[in-house]
Amino acid sequence: MNRSVYLKKFSLYILLMIVTFIIIFPFYWAFITSIKLPKEAFSLSLIPWLQFKPTLMNWKAEVVGKGETLFNAIKNSLIVATSSALISTLIGTLAGYGLARFRYQTWKNKDIAIFFLASRMVPPVVVVLPYFLIFKFLGLIDTKISLIVVYTAINMVFPVLLSRDAFHEIPSEIEECALVDGCTRFGVFFRVSLPLVIPAVVAAFIICYAFAWNEFLIALTLTFRHSVTIPITIAGTEHIQGVQFWFTSIRFLLTVAPPVVVAAFAQKFIVKGLTFGAVKG
Amino acid sequence: MKLVDFLDRKAKFFFILPSVLWLLVITAFPLIYSLLLSFLSTGASAWGKFVGLQNYIALFKNYRFWNSLRITIMFVASAVGIEMALGIGLALLLNTEIKARKFFRTLFMTPLFATPLALGYLGLILFSEASGPINTFLYTLGLKKILWFTNPKAALLSIVIVDVWKWSPFCFLVILAALQGVPQQIYEAAKLESTSHVAIFKYITLPLIAPALLTVFLLRTIEAFKVLDIPYALTSGGPGITTEAYSLYTYKVGLRFFNFGPASALAYFLMGIILIFCIFFFSKIRSIHEG
Repeated sequence: MNRSVYLKKFSLYILLMIVTFIIIFPFYWAFITSIKLPKEAFSLSLIPWLQFKPTLMNWKAEVVGKGETLFNAIKNSLIVATSSALISTLIGTLAGYGLARFRYQTWKNKDIAIFFLASRMVPPVVVVLPYFLIFKFLGLIDTKISLIVVYTAINMVFPVLLSRDAFHEIPSEIEECALVDGCTRFGVFFRVSLPLVIPAVVAAFIICYAFAWNEFLIALTLTFRHSVTIPITIAGTEHIQGVQFWFTSIRFLLTVAPPVVVAAFAQKFIVKGLTFGAVKG
Repeated sequence: MKLVDFLDRKAKFFFILPSVLWLLVITAFPLIYSLLLSFLSTGASAWGKFVGLQNYIALFKNYRFWNSLRITIMFVASAVGIEMALGIGLALLLNTEIKARKFFRTLFMTPLFATPLALGYLGLILFSEASGPINTFLYTLGLKKILWFTNPKAALLSIVIVDVWKWSPFCFLVILAALQGVPQQIYEAAKLESTSHVAIFKYITLPLIAPALLTVFLLRTIEAFKVLDIPYALTSGGPGITTEAYSLYTYKVGLRFFNFGPASALAYFLMGIILIFCIFFFSKIRSIHEG
């Protein structure tokens, strides 16, 4: 009896180790490829110093040599992702509050929620052509504004639904007290309710930020030089001589690190955030 | 003062107005624009004339359209199937009493935030036929190297593998949350009846997490139909056009060859598929919740 329990535990941890390996391996491989000499990039050696001599040559060539394009792209990505996430979180939270506190007539609350959800169902290829034509007409091609405006819209659903669920859990008596004391509705929102749902707001912000950071097709269509974002620059590492693994892996790491690290630190909020609705039904 | 009063009386509307308007302008307007384009013979330079359904009719006679549709359906079926299975498996694995569950949960969800395009390019390295770690590993085991980018089936498989790596964590997270929402007493009662593990899972756990499973399935299927980044980076549709996913083909027609009319018709056809899928499953989800 005891032995079978022990065996079960053992196999459980073996399985967990295998999954851990599969998840870490791509990141690790990218990392060691970036510190290998090009001629060694093709060998299956895994451990630096022991199996191969690590070098910072590639990093120097990428970061110092092509630094300007790279930093420009990182800067653009930071500006675009942060501002679009801020705007969608701000006005999305307002809508989430509205859906949680009021009852709408012509369009019922449920219809409005479905309207937000439906926006996420639209395939990007359907809207990307009109975006191209509209922003060309407005003279906004290759600007960060065009990306911010679009990303704000496509990520709106996350703050709306997340904050709506959070606001539902706040007893409305708290707000009524403030209203009686002469606070306006918006005053109540900013001074009383919003501070109580900060975890949901943080989750929404990070999800918006990561999705905006990772977006590719719209950025590819709307930018070409000044406002390119970081994913576009990886697409540019393809070389006439084929893919230069060592440079590609550096850009991979620079692209993937910000959203992954932020999400890992805020995982407590995210888990709640990403599983919204699905669990409660 | 008056403005504040007015705002307050109409507060109800001002709360939802900004986001609804923003979405209407940025999503609904382009959707209508795109529908309009699909009825025009618009090319790169000039506005075309109205051609009715001709763009759509041309689609059905086009070999590449059917090819990309078939590939996308194959991709969706295999990727979503594997992701659901792995998601359930991983969730069950972590729904046991183990130490460091939080650590593993954090670790398992990292792929979710990795840039899909970047993963596609990393895939070029990992799947590299001559010298990638996967093939070298197979070779050292005495197995045959897989021609990931020459063999059409292997190429599609490589896209599925990257997609599974990226999206299984999403299924896992949602299903784990659903599993943890199942009241513990139910299991204890079942154990008293000395029911087998399989029976407990089949008759107790599965029905209770069914709504979560359906939601995950729905969300993943819709997202999978839109797949573009990973094939763009990993195979760019090759060898030939054997992994040309639907969105990728649409992108090429529209923004590489600037055939706006035909591309919009293509895009709208995809929109139709997703719409029909949603309508079909929304009623199902609702009936499960109410029943």
